[in-house]
Amino acid sequence: MIKPIVSSMRKLMWYLMAWLLAGVVVVALLVTMANISWGAGLGFAIPVSLIYGFVAASAFYVCRSLPFEKRQFLLTLVIFGGASLLSGLMWLLLCYAWNYLAQAIRHSFLYGADTDSNLTVNLIVITQPMSVMLFVAGCGFYLLSILVHDVLIALDNMRLADRRAAESRVQARDAELQVLRTQINPHFLFNSLNSISALTSIDPIAARTMTLELAQFFRQTLALSEKEQIPLADEITLCKHFLAIEKIRFGKKLQSDIQVSDTAQAALIPPMLLQPCIENAIKHGIRDLTEGGTITLRAMTRGDWLHVTIENPIDINPSTTVGNGLGLKNSQQRLRSLYGEKARISWTRNTEFFIVEIAIPLSIVNL
Amino acid sequence: MMNPINVLIVDDEELARCLIREYLRAHPDIVIVGEAEHGLDAVKQINALNPDLIFLDIQMPKLTGLEVLELTGRQAGVIFTTAYDQYALKAFDLHAIDYLLKPFSQTRFDEALAQARKSIGQPVNPQASAIQQLLSAPGKLLDRILIRDRTQVHVIPVDKMEYVEAQDDYISIVSDAKSYLKTQSLSELEAQLDPKKFVRVHRSYLINIERLKSIERSTKDSHVAIMRSGKQIPISRTGYERIRQIM
Repeated sequence: MIKPIVSSMRKLMWYLMAWLLAGVVVVALLVTMANISWGAGLGFAIPVSLIYGFVAASAFYVCRSLPFEKRQFLLTLVIFGGASLLSGLMWLLLCYAWNYLAQAIRHSFLYGADTDSNLTVNLIVITQPMSVMLFVAGCGFYLLSILVHDVLIALDNMRLADRRAAESRVQARDAELQVLRTQINPHFLFNSLNSISALTSIDPIAARTMTLELAQFFRQTLALSEKEQIPLADEITLCKHFLAIEKIRFGKKLQSDIQVSDTAQAALIPPMLLQPCIENAIKHGIRDLTEGGTITLRAMTRGDWLHVTIENPIDINPSTTVGNGLGLKNSQQRLRSLYGEKARISWTRNTEFFIVEIAIPLSIVNL
Repeated sequence: MMNPINVLIVDDEELARCLIREYLRAHPDIVIVGEAEHGLDAVKQINALNPDLIFLDIQMPKLTGLEVLELTGRQAGVIFTTAYDQYALKAFDLHAIDYLLKPFSQTRFDEALAQARKSIGQPVNPQASAIQQLLSAPGKLLDRILIRDRTQVHVIPVDKMEYVEAQDDYISIVSDAKSYLKTQSLSELEAQLDPKKFVRVHRSYLINIERLKSIERSTKDSHVAIMRSGKQIPISRTGYERIRQIM
C-alpha cells in the first residue's frame, strides 16, 4: 500500500528540509526584489513555508485521486490547476496572517505589553507586486509538490508491481512442484518395488526389466516436468513405460490399446497430461474388474485441433476406489491457465465405461 | 506335535501374494488354505475357512481390508500389509496394531509372524480387541455403507440412501426403493455420516437432504417431510429445528 509522506518520520524530515529550502528561495526573492533585510525575510518566510509544507502534502491525495491510467489532459489540468490556485491563495493568506502575528509577538516580547506600540506595523511591508509574487510562488510550490508526489507514487507502484510479479513467480513454481509431487505416487512406487522384490526369486529377468522400466519412467517424468510443452509422442512413450510396469503388477488383467495418428505425434501438449489419466483408468477402473479390461487411447488431429480420448471399462457397482474427480479438475485448471477457454477436457461415465476427452488447439513442434 | 496354522493371503496383486508364499516357506507348520484377490472374495473365504491368520492388504478393489474386517467381525489373527496409506498407518500406530510395509524383508516378516503366533488360539475379548477399537474409532465420514445379507454383501453409497428408519434393534436403510436391514443403532450411523447431508428429523428417522422434496405442515404444530419418492416422513419438533438450521 502506498502511503503519504507524513506517514514515516524519515521521509517527513526530508520533506521539511525541502520546504526549508523553498523558504530560503522566497527570502532570496524578497531580498533582491524588495530590498528587505535577510533577517526579516527569514523570520517571515521560513515558518510560513514549513506550515505550507503540510498543506502541500495534500498533493498526495490529489495525485492518488487521479491514477495515471485515468488521466485526460483537460481533467488533469482542471484538478491540478484548481488545487494549485486554491493552495496558492492559502499560502498568500498564511503569509499575511503570519506577518501580522509575528510582529505582534515580537512587539510584546521586546517592549512588554504596556507600551503603546504601533501594532499595525508588520514584519515586512507586503506590496502589491510582492503579493503577486508570493501567490505565484505558492502555486508553483504546490505544482512542484504534485510532481514530486506523482514521481514517488509511480516509483511505489513499480516496486509493488515488481513484488507482485515475484510473488506470482513463486506461486507458479510451487504449483509446478505440487504437480511433480502428485505424479510420483508413493503407492505406485512402493507397490512396484514390492513386485520387484517378489520377482527376484521367481523371475530375475522380469525383475530387471521392471527395474529398468521404473527407472525410465521416473527419469522421463523428471525431464518432461521441467518443460512447458512436449510433443505428444514423448508423453505417449512415458505412458507406455508406466503401462509396462503396471502390466507386470496386474498381469493379464491389464491390457492397453494405444493409437496415435501420424499428424498427432508432433502436436504439442503440456507434460504429464495423459499419464495421470492412464493411472486413474487403472486405479479406478481396471483394478476393480475381476476379469480386467483394456484401456483405449486414441489421438488424432482434426482441423486446428488435437483430440485425445482415453476410455476404460468400469465396475457396475461403484466402490470406494471411485475417484473424487480431483485429478481431472486439476488437469482442467492447468489447461485453462495455459490455453484460456480454448482447450477443453471433459469426462463422462456410463454404466460400463469411463471416457475422458481432451481437445487442445493444434500447434506442431518444429523439428 | 504342533497344530498347523491355517493362513489366508489377501492381496489383489499376484506378485504380492507370491512373495508372502515364498516367505512362508521358511515356516513348515503353516498351511496356506486360501488366497483372495479382492475384498468380497476375502469375506467369503474368511467365513468359509475361518483361518487362524490372515495376511490382509488394505487397498483392494471392491472392499478395503478394513471393510473386510468390519463385515466378518474378525477381531484378531490379522497381519495388515500395505504399500502406503498415511491415514491407515496413523490409526494402526495409535492402536498398536502391527503391519507390514511393502516392500518388506524376510526378517521383518518373521518378526510380525512371531508376534501374531502368540495370540493365535488365545481367547479374544471383543471389547478390548485393538482391531475393534480401530474400526469403531471416530474417523473420517462414511461414503458407503456395507450390509451383509446371508451370503451377499450390499455396498450402498451414502449419496444413494434416501432415508434410514430405526426398528427395534436394527435399522432399515432405504435406497433406490429397496430396503436393507442392518444391526446398528440409528445414532451410531448418524455419527458416521455428514451432518450437512443427513438430518435426524425424528427419533426414528434420518433423512438424506438431497432426496427431500418439500416440508409440509400436517397439523397445527407438526410437520411432515415429503421425499422425492413420495414417501412421507414425520418430523418431530426438535427435528424441525434441526432441518431449519441446515436449510
